[in-house]
Amino acid sequence: METLNRNLLHPQQRVGENMPRWLQAGGSEALRGAVKDTSALLPAIKEADLRGLGGSGFPVWRKWEAVAKEAASPDKYLVCNGNEDEPGTFKDRLLLEETPHQIIEGALLGALACGINRIVFYINPDLTRSLAALKSALGQWQDGELLKLASDALGKQIKMELVPGSSHYIGGEETAAMEWIEGQLSGKAKFPFPRGKPPYPAQCGIFGCPTLINNIETLAHVPAIMRNGAEWFRNLGIGHGAGTKLYSLSGDVLHPGVYELPMGTTLRDLIYVHGGGLLSGKPLKAVFTGGPSNTLLTPDDLDVNMDFESLRERGASLGTGAMIVVSEGTGMVKRVAEYARFFAHSSCGQCPPCKTGTATISRLLDRIDTGCGTAADMATLESLCRMLPGSGRCHLVNGVAQLLDSSFRHFRNEYEQALK
Amino acid sequence: MKRGLSLQAALAAYRPDTELAPLPELNDPDTLLNEHHPDHLRGSMTKLTIGPNAGADCQRELADLLQAEAFIDEADLAGAQVTDTDVLVIGGGGAGCAAALAAAESGARVLLATKLRLGDSNTVMAEGGIQAAIEPDDSAQQHMQDTLRAGHHAGDPALVAAMVGDGPEVIRWLIHQGMQFDQTASGDLRTRRAGGMTAPRIVHCRDYTGLEMMRVLREAVKQHRGIEVWDQSPVVELLSNERGQKCVGAVLASLSDGSMRIVRTRSVILATGGLGRLHLNGFPTSNHIGATGDGLVLAYRMGAHLCDLDSFQYHPTGLVHPPHLSGKLVTEGVRAAGALLLNGQGQRFVDELQPRDIVCAAIIRECREGRGIHTDNGGVGVWLDTPRLECSQPGMLEQQFPKLLARTHHVGIDPRREPILVYPTLHYQNGGIVIDVNGTTSVPGLYAAGEVAGGIHGRNRIMGNALLDIIGFGRRAGRAAALAEHDRGPKKITLEHVNRARRALTLAGLPLTQRAPQILPAYTAVGKDIWKP
Amino acid sequence: MTDNVRHPASVELLINGITVHAEPQMTIVEAAWAGSVPRVTGVGCLEGVCGSCRILVKKGKEVNVALACETFVEAGMEALFLPAPGTDRHQYELTELADGWDIQARFHEIFPEASRCRHCNGCVQSCPKGIVVEDGVALAAAGRFREAGEAFFECVMCELCDNACPENIAPAHVGLFSRRITAFFHLRPPNLIHKLEEIRKEQAAKKDLP
Repeated sequence: METLNRNLLHPQQRVGENMPRWLQAGGSEALRGAVKDTSALLPAIKEADLRGLGGSGFPVWRKWEAVAKEAASPDKYLVCNGNEDEPGTFKDRLLLEETPHQIIEGALLGALACGINRIVFYINPDLTRSLAALKSALGQWQDGELLKLASDALGKQIKMELVPGSSHYIGGEETAAMEWIEGQLSGKAKFPFPRGKPPYPAQCGIFGCPTLINNIETLAHVPAIMRNGAEWFRNLGIGHGAGTKLYSLSGDVLHPGVYELPMGTTLRDLIYVHGGGLLSGKPLKAVFTGGPSNTLLTPDDLDVNMDFESLRERGASLGTGAMIVVSEGTGMVKRVAEYARFFAHSSCGQCPPCKTGTATISRLLDRIDTGCGTAADMATLESLCRMLPGSGRCHLVNGVAQLLDSSFRHFRNEYEQALK
Repeated sequence: MKRGLSLQAALAAYRPDTELAPLPELNDPDTLLNEHHPDHLRGSMTKLTIGPNAGADCQRELADLLQAEAFIDEADLAGAQVTDTDVLVIGGGGAGCAAALAAAESGARVLLATKLRLGDSNTVMAEGGIQAAIEPDDSAQQHMQDTLRAGHHAGDPALVAAMVGDGPEVIRWLIHQGMQFDQTASGDLRTRRAGGMTAPRIVHCRDYTGLEMMRVLREAVKQHRGIEVWDQSPVVELLSNERGQKCVGAVLASLSDGSMRIVRTRSVILATGGLGRLHLNGFPTSNHIGATGDGLVLAYRMGAHLCDLDSFQYHPTGLVHPPHLSGKLVTEGVRAAGALLLNGQGQRFVDELQPRDIVCAAIIRECREGRGIHTDNGGVGVWLDTPRLECSQPGMLEQQFPKLLARTHHVGIDPRREPILVYPTLHYQNGGIVIDVNGTTSVPGLYAAGEVAGGIHGRNRIMGNALLDIIGFGRRAGRAAALAEHDRGPKKITLEHVNRARRALTLAGLPLTQRAPQILPAYTAVGKDIWKP
Repeated sequence: MTDNVRHPASVELLINGITVHAEPQMTIVEAAWAGSVPRVTGVGCLEGVCGSCRILVKKGKEVNVALACETFVEAGMEALFLPAPGTDRHQYELTELADGWDIQARFHEIFPEASRCRHCNGCVQSCPKGIVVEDGVALAAAGRFREAGEAFFECVMCELCDNACPENIAPAHVGLFSRRITAFFHLRPPNLIHKLEEIRKEQAAKKDLP
């Protein structure tokens, strides 16, 4: 238990938007150090093996390096992505409420590493408390000494802005986020449609400028890494994992909540040690990982380390670290149908196979769940799982297909029993 | 059949501005029909041996179905869900929708069951238009005479009078449902004249009249609160009272899971359409996939009188090429607009605006006698000279026949530059269930409307009368069925009429191996396992 | 006419998950029949006007929707017949729209989503008839129903645009609504009205006879 909440949710630094108390607790040390030598940032992050914690698991230094290489034209942007909207994911909102200054500091460090002069905090507008906390925190930075320090180190005035998101789940996709932000900054609202890649945001992002997009949780790690060193960070993890991870635990467990644990903690420890086990002592049936557009985990996966590599080796994915636990007695068809409906509803519409495909999946699952499904409906779903992946600009449709496909693999009998 | 020119050679020789020889005189239309019309093919007819029409002539393949075994036994109905309604309409085409709307307007609770999807029908494909005597120099009398004459005076004058009399009101009703028609600059409905008509009488919506009608009626039905629609629910058998003498409902199967449902009702309206997909005499067809004559089979087993079972309409201008559209129609409107028919020698051979049976027989004669044009995959036909029409009235094809261009465009054929290869295609069932002016059949409780009903068009139908027929008689049947006197209902719902038919089959020494109705053509594969989930 | 060369080799493709060998030049519907694919009941007119044979079709990496009777087989293609559309969400009866003056307001009551088009272009990409669906919806939302209806003239009610719309606008039904009210309120042809009046007088005269 001693590893719990050590880094991100450090009890001492959980001071909310109160800047003096945050400074007292050691806040801003990393920034003050970094302004002396910004070139040390990127190697440290690389050395620490920090990953994109919004779901991709992509090495952060690669993105940073790509943006750092580009010339500002005329600006460079950093988007701090807090659009968090997936079912079962509720970590960024907590970070924003509890330790917004740490996030701002992390963002400034990222900006210095990559030569970025415009920082946009992009937050899900429905998270009203998180928004308020960040707004208040940002107000304390504007025109302050720390921001000036950073601007001087960059050689350019750094501008920090808060842009509430669109309330659309798809707005969390990085190119969709850029699209929305462009609309908001220019005063001509645009729907957050994902853009095709390439060009990648690092080359051509917001208003055509090089753009870095990192998740809130990712950025929040940066100050501690700079303060304590890359090795310290790496050693926090277990096995392949480096650092700590916020796991959003929900569902049929005794103590649901956000747990900061070493990256690579096993599912068993998360559920049975930290989560207090399953409700009513029922056996574990499955875990939807976050969120929840990934392959399902089952009791067979209890001892797998929950880091990006270990899960990928099992054909699964860590995603945002959301773990929705379901116990025996849960109807899997209904669950999958609910998530499918969420994704069908979230499909933005610009790729007909995604919108039509997810809507069809949702309809057929509802049909099966209500006892009206036929074997032909099952066959149609299986064909959709095969045809849809890769047919959209973004990953939404792939996630649905993956979830459905893995639920077929593990719980086929439940589908078949529900058929007419 | 003598071999004529190849398609390539004919195309190379074709010029839209060739001088044409005068049209040879047609001296003896009866001989032409007797020698070349498919209804007169040797061996294609037989006599029915059982049922109300025993002794009457009937096309052989149809007779096999009319004298076939039913699909179901009473045991198949065990556990079937039962639904009660006032009026059951079977068929989701133009006639079915018109009947359902009329019945609902008359206050009845209506259930409309359709084999495929509501609107999947021949109606949706009708291109040319709908007849109604609305021009100042036209009259219902003239319309009636044209209809009877073209039908070789075999039609029932009372039915024809009812239909033509309904004409203007039917158009008004369709407009009231939200259907659009082409107008002249002054706002009049634009009319066209076609084969066998003494006055311009066809009102239309470019060449999408059927589509426009069907999508409007379909929407009207789906939006009507008094009508429930069951898609993918073909009828497999009617139900009779305990004496097998009154129709009291039907058994509907589900195409999606094979289950059977019973509908108990006081009136059943059969609006199941035609039978082109039986491919009588091996002909291609213009019909939609569900046109398998189910209504005829069920009505006959129930004891209803049928008529003119030896008379079918082969539309003169079915496409021969491209192959996937084989049998699909080029609307008669193209001929009405002035397009000529040319044989392989580039010459006219028939007055293009003669009734359909004459034109059809003439095309078959040309091809049999070596003046046809042959494709590589065994097709044969004559030219429909659209480029010449385009030359004389530039832009006209695009403006008035967008469907024709759209359909051929995506396979790389442009009728404005190349003539279209056509050959007769099985298009319409002239006969059908005998009805009176209210759509009543000879079986109490059973009504019929649309192509499944007979007696209106005699032995040949003229263009535009089918759409008028389905709406006019559809509405008549719907009203009559909704307002019919009803008792407390039957004591039992039974398959007594099926047993009666079985007895007759056995006594006549006929085999009980073939089952009917067919539901879908065997080649669609769906027919093979239709009953198994 | 196009070349008539017949390819001897057959084409292998997947239809509803079943491997099918078809002749080139066949449509997906014909290939499904030839390959005995069971339960292909979403088929109607076979000439592209009934809108029943809706498929999802994958060629290489590209996936889109189409009508099976107008899509020709290609080697390696995968086609899936889509389930028939569900029940309509929008309810109206023309006779309840008594007054044409408030039609624009009524339209937005019936189709509240129509003004929320996010211009994703999915409906346009989905339309097998090449209708610029988005523009048609915009015209209807602006109250220009005659023009909107004209934009939807070739609509075959396959409802693929309804499937494709993330705002649940049901564009096909918006188009049909536009067409229907145009006829319902504005189609008043003098020649038809004259004939109906003649018939009415005739019938009235007949009634007056003893």
